[in-house]
Amino acid sequence: MPRALVARDGQALRLAAVDRHAARQGLAAGMTLADARARCPDLATAPHDAIADTRALERLAAAMIAFTPLVALDAPHGIMLDVTGCAHLFGGEAALVRGVLEAAGHVARHGLAANAAAARALARFGGGRGEGDVTALPVTALELAEDALAGLRRAGLETLGDLAARPMAGLAARFGEAAVMRLRAILGEAGSPVVPLRLADPIRLETRFAEPIARTDDALEVVEDLLVQAARMMEQRQLGGRRFGVTLHRSDNARRRLVVETGQAVREAGAVMRLLRERIDTLSDPLDPGFGFDAITLAVLHADHLPSRQILLEDGKEENADDAAALVDQLSVRLGEDSVRRLVPRDRHLPEKAQALVPALRVKAAVWPAPEDVPPRPLLLLDPPQPVEVIAGVPDSPPQRFRWKGRLHDVTLAEGPERIGAEWWLKRGGHMPGAAGETRDYYRIEDGAGRRYWIFRHGLFSEKPDPRWYLHGLFP
Amino acid sequence: MFHSAADAHAEARSRKDGQALPRLARGQLHEVHADARDWASALAFGLAAIEADDRRPVMLLRTSPRGGMLVPCGEGIAGLGIDPARLVIVDARDGTGLLRAGLDAARSSGPAAVLLESWGALREYDMVASRRFVLAAERSRIPVVMLRGDAEPRASAAHTRWTVVSAPSIPLEARAPGPPALLVELVKRRGGPAGMRWQLEWNDEDGALREIPLETGQADDVAAPLPGIVVPLPAVRTGAPLRRIA
Repeated sequence: MPRALVARDGQALRLAAVDRHAARQGLAAGMTLADARARCPDLATAPHDAIADTRALERLAAAMIAFTPLVALDAPHGIMLDVTGCAHLFGGEAALVRGVLEAAGHVARHGLAANAAAARALARFGGGRGEGDVTALPVTALELAEDALAGLRRAGLETLGDLAARPMAGLAARFGEAAVMRLRAILGEAGSPVVPLRLADPIRLETRFAEPIARTDDALEVVEDLLVQAARMMEQRQLGGRRFGVTLHRSDNARRRLVVETGQAVREAGAVMRLLRERIDTLSDPLDPGFGFDAITLAVLHADHLPSRQILLEDGKEENADDAAALVDQLSVRLGEDSVRRLVPRDRHLPEKAQALVPALRVKAAVWPAPEDVPPRPLLLLDPPQPVEVIAGVPDSPPQRFRWKGRLHDVTLAEGPERIGAEWWLKRGGHMPGAAGETRDYYRIEDGAGRRYWIFRHGLFSEKPDPRWYLHGLFP
Repeated sequence: MFHSAADAHAEARSRKDGQALPRLARGQLHEVHADARDWASALAFGLAAIEADDRRPVMLLRTSPRGGMLVPCGEGIAGLGIDPARLVIVDARDGTGLLRAGLDAARSSGPAAVLLESWGALREYDMVASRRFVLAAERSRIPVVMLRGDAEPRASAAHTRWTVVSAPSIPLEARAPGPPALLVELVKRRGGPAGMRWQLEWNDEDGALREIPLETGQADDVAAPLPGIVVPLPAVRTGAPLRRIA
């Protein structure tokens, strides 16, 4: 089935990328979706995510470091490898190309040439052979604007070889300096520099001991030293660690690995040490030094940008935010990430679904919408709502008395109903009359003792004959 | 965050008897006793110790409560003037874990307040444990509120001990329940008189709990002596007399 990615361009939906089948049917990137559908009715589409594309390309470029130390991004959709002096390590250029294409894992076109501009032209316009004479390439390889290309073709210039035979001055006068610069770059007469990616060194530190150390406290002191060194390295690169891994190598070749995560990037050794001690406390089998530890390694497994902190003179606000984050980290390590949670709003109507509890490590403080003009909500919700026996008038009266946990409550004050419909749009066939699910009628009631409750009738009398009542919340 | 009532009656009375409601002060440990059914009122009273314009997080630590799970409702918290995004809910496995996590939270100066929800006797919470909380709170200058559900008051080092029950609200038109109303009794207070009770009502304009005269509607009780005859305070445990333990 032909497939395409679609992106919004102003008012129109346009194809951003097409697969092989779609291309065979005459579809191309840039076409409007309506045109494409007219040509190819069974086209399957998905939204285009340009950022994810870029990320994937960056990841791929980082993986190419296995073949050469000089890797550059070649926008759009390209990666440039400078394989000078690398090919023999892989058994020749052909084997290297095979290896690279295999590692890339995608359908890829390649070009091999003496300079970057020529390689780019060969890969993109060389018809997939990858090598050959650049002078035989069509003039589109100059990547000029469409009207300039049309001008070249009208002049009868089809290949770069035709152009190269002409005097450059005339070309520059007619099609601009860029055309000449590109042509000379492809022919190798002008330089085509690349800006290689610089991959950051992983932050990994190791200490080896002349004699094994047998006390856990001593080992932890060494870890703290390593953390201080790592902090210095991270400070230089404006980084802060999010995940730290410590490996303790025992002299009998057993390894203990401790990993701690933080909610915010940190550099302070003390904060990480606190988390590590928490982790050690929660280990199911305690840290056993045995005959002692031979070596200790520390790795910062995940790091985020963390600018250097200025010392605040007037108030300690910044420091305070750190304290709270450190507390959340500490409790998350001790009790488990799922036990330290924050409330996050959800755009749903049903009260129990309008909010969610999310691990505090995974979420920054959510933005709650300003209270709308809706009837008040209780302070505590019962999860799940508890069934109660109710005496109420039919059809829409608030309860007069109800029995909860075996105790009878007389209702003195009541407000309602606040009608909350079922989420019919999530239900299969929910748009059909009568299939939407039960509507809830919420009442805010007060009993004789002065306690306020949130109670609802699950279903209207028109929806079902004997709707049940549930207690759903407690008001202060 | 407590405001004395604006009306002359209450002011006159509080001046006369010197009984202004003491706030849940910072840097102190407060105990709030309540019944499970009054838990929302107890929580609202505890949340009153928090300043609304502070941006620091509020730690709510709890163990799994008896009889069904109670989940704080974000919109309800927003109704009490506190941004629900500030709330960090920590679930401890048992009483020991709760006290340990609470102590760490109380020692940190990160949160705006620490609220602990505990249920039943909570044997681990004794004089020593509460003294630790007091010291932690004094150092970090944040209020620590120990909410105790279905529990007998026990000797502790807390600065104040309260019992909270829901009070009948002042009805709105069409016999609708009014704003949150609670009846609080100051059972114990270190270095001060105790045994007073107040009726509090949530005031949306102030964004605070406001004192209202006990027994609303009786304007002539200004000069009347306070004790006993006003709205009876249901004992924390039905049938058991309120015991006062220093």
